[in-house]
Amino acid sequence: MAIEVEVFGQLLPGQPRQYQFAVAQPVTVAEVAAWLKLATDEIGLISINGVQSELNDIVPVDCRLCFFPPMTGG
Amino acid sequence: MKLLRVDMKELAVKSEAVPAAYEHLGGRGLIAELLLAEVPPRCDALGPHNKLIFAPGMLGGAGVTTAGRLSIGGKSPLTGGSKEANAGGTAGDTLGKLGIKAIVVENQPAKPEFFVLHVTADSAELLPAGPVLGLGTYATADALQKQFGEDATVLAIGQAGEQRLTGADIACTGIEEQRSNHAARGGLGAVMGSKGLKAVVIDKADGLSVPLADAELFRTASKSFAQGLINDPKLGPKGGTHMYGTAAITGAVNEMGSFPTRNFSTGRFEDAANLRGEKIREVVLARGGRMGTRCMAGCVIGCRHVFVDEAGAPVVSTLQYETLALLGSNLGLGNLDQVASLNYMCNDFGLDTIETGAALGVALEAGLAPFGDFDAILALLKQVGEGTVIGRLIGSGAVATGRVLGIRRVPAAVGQAMPGYDPRSLKGNGVTYATSPMGADHTAGNAFGARATTNPLLVTGQKELSLKLQIISAMLDSTGLCLFARPPVIADPQLMVDMLNGIYGWGWTKADLDKANRQVLRTELEFNRRAGLTAADYRIPEYMREEPLAPHQVTFDIPDTDLDAVFETL
Repeated sequence: MAIEVEVFGQLLPGQPRQYQFAVAQPVTVAEVAAWLKLATDEIGLISINGVQSELNDIVPVDCRLCFFPPMTGG
Repeated sequence: MKLLRVDMKELAVKSEAVPAAYEHLGGRGLIAELLLAEVPPRCDALGPHNKLIFAPGMLGGAGVTTAGRLSIGGKSPLTGGSKEANAGGTAGDTLGKLGIKAIVVENQPAKPEFFVLHVTADSAELLPAGPVLGLGTYATADALQKQFGEDATVLAIGQAGEQRLTGADIACTGIEEQRSNHAARGGLGAVMGSKGLKAVVIDKADGLSVPLADAELFRTASKSFAQGLINDPKLGPKGGTHMYGTAAITGAVNEMGSFPTRNFSTGRFEDAANLRGEKIREVVLARGGRMGTRCMAGCVIGCRHVFVDEAGAPVVSTLQYETLALLGSNLGLGNLDQVASLNYMCNDFGLDTIETGAALGVALEAGLAPFGDFDAILALLKQVGEGTVIGRLIGSGAVATGRVLGIRRVPAAVGQAMPGYDPRSLKGNGVTYATSPMGADHTAGNAFGARATTNPLLVTGQKELSLKLQIISAMLDSTGLCLFARPPVIADPQLMVDMLNGIYGWGWTKADLDKANRQVLRTELEFNRRAGLTAADYRIPEYMREEPLAPHQVTFDIPDTDLDAVFETL
């Protein structure tokens, strides 16, 4: 069971954008962010399988988790 | 300040003092009031009774960062209602410094002829279009700047506007390499063509400035406003908008399942990674292009770039998100160079990339070419400039294309094509598309990014969110501010009040500002009502309520009663 993670935009500059984590039990979005050393105040948007999510949401196994910086449409 | 009235029948220009009723207005707000007062709402949008209005925002020329946008308006041949579209560049700032509150173009030439309007600090005259007739917008701007000065501003239509195609827009020159900024939506290029006006040339406002009623108040507020933009994590020098441009959002919109793909048939595109701002930055910098450039002098955001080809030669400045969505994923194209080529062609013909991309998507669904076949799509688009029947069809926009080709799946609302967010999975934008007096227009109230308040997949809260955003947009469009510049004035509306009071000495309060913003929408809605638009027009296409959109398998399920109730608290 794995979590596929992608980091967008200016988050984690100079580091890979894509990650795979093998997990044995459910974790929260905040825990995954901590594994990446991703400062939570730099995150603007989170999605799990394309659904808008929050830091304290549980990340289901075998999912895709994305972190985006703050963004604006225009 | 003054109004310039340009009579295209008598070929005369006269200057008049700004009537008292218009003194506290600018940009979109002024256009709305002028249209309601002076244009018969049921007139032919391409006939002599419509008017084409150029109006800087209320901050135009005063030196506020990002506030030099030019509003252009008239009755739209697409929506049939009140329309304003705005563009960056140098026009808004220059007209503000010249003390010109609006240029109102009226009537039509007695016989089919085209003219150029030349505006200077103390005069304005109509000249025969001569050799620029038939040229694209790039060549038109080059020729007129050669004739009138490299620092003159040129507003021009291309072949699409000359043919009065309803997908036509108006190109505005900008600073340095940002030579092609477009007041794109609503078919206003066709209105300009119907007036026999090929271009407007505005001389640089040398040595002129906007008088300030309270210089200290103005400078303090405008400085705080600029600092607010610089400090904003989205917009400052380390923000995504500056680093990656408007396409900073491509990855997120695709991930959230709202990225228009193959005529809005799915919300995710398999090649979306190639259309992201991150990819643009990588390609542009590797080829020697420039990122973080500006369309207006003094802009502290710098969302633009110069997209160059493999040899390092400029192609377009700039590849915008909406263009990447409508001319890219919507056509099954995941190649930046291909999208840039289509973008250049649209710019040169003077075509709205959103309307044209949507029209092409409908044409591909009808079988005129396969999705993803760049050469075939390019051949279709070329025909707009050639004036073939197919070209005129594509250039007339999505609704016309769908009607002629028998396609029911037309992504449009109130006659105008949808921008780069499928409303089924970004429902707040769907409410704006359906209810805005502007028609389907993301700049009228874009809900993308409003995550703190509203889940884009849910019904709850969307109508309230849309109304709030539409009121804010009315303010931005009336003051000449860039859409991106909203965070500081949303956080502290007093900044806007102080900037306006600093220029004009009106003694406005925040309540006055809010009242003025709301009045813009009321006036536009009233024009549209008188033009014959009813609740039945303010709707999302039926198929979007019935066909689930992948990957979330959602339909547009905001009840009509919610759409009808958006403006109840306006």
